[in-house]
Amino acid sequence: MDNIPADQARAALDVAERAQQHVADEVGLPRGYWWAMAAGWIVLGVLGSETPAWVAGAATFVFGAGHAALASRLLDGRRRTGGVQVSAAVAGRRLPLVVIGMLVVLVALTVLAGLALDADGAGHAAIWAAVLVASVIGFGGPEILRVLRRWVRA
Amino acid sequence: MTDARFDELIHPSTRLSLMATLAAADWAEFAFLKDRLDLSDSALSKQLTTLEEAGYIATERRLSGTRRKVRARLTDTGRTAFEGHIAALQAIIAGAATP
Repeated sequence: MDNIPADQARAALDVAERAQQHVADEVGLPRGYWWAMAAGWIVLGVLGSETPAWVAGAATFVFGAGHAALASRLLDGRRRTGGVQVSAAVAGRRLPLVVIGMLVVLVALTVLAGLALDADGAGHAAIWAAVLVASVIGFGGPEILRVLRRWVRA
Repeated sequence: MTDARFDELIHPSTRLSLMATLAAADWAEFAFLKDRLDLSDSALSKQLTTLEEAGYIATERRLSGTRRKVRARLTDTGRTAFEGHIAALQAIIAGAATP
């Protein structure tokens, strides 16, 4: 064990740490989750704008229930792809909170965008606000989550 | 506390990467390992066989659609060996830093 010099030991440790970091980088949610979320966002925006309140309310309930069912399987972030299942120790426990927090902020952003568009006189303000935020979710969801994970060290 | 134990079998860079990758995962598919370690099919198969014969990893062949997929995971013996090796490397570095 003492036959190898410290610089070789350091290099070997770096190799191991790099390999483990590559696995840690796999933590996240599948691409399909973000696109499904974006699609749901637009549908809710359309329903909120074009249908009676009870329909939009019921749709929101169904969407929330569907998300909760998915969340129990996906939100631990260990199965982003089918190639690897990240260990619970590496994935940590905070990812679900980060995702939920992100969604709450995006809901607030949708409401603010809708109010701003409405104040500006835009027609179908709720739909446009939903489309705007859905684009952010669909195209940037994985990247936003990656940045948030880094910020909160989740 | 893990006992430091230098392991000659794990120490080569490719095997160390393979063990470290599997130590951070519950399991990994052959294709994932091949991509991440930048190895050919035959080179990865050889490394997996060596580690499996030592009892450090277990492989499982699964049918996915029409394709057969190989999934590897670290065994308890493998995890103990990996953690012991990492502890041994850290001890070498700590020993060198001590005047």
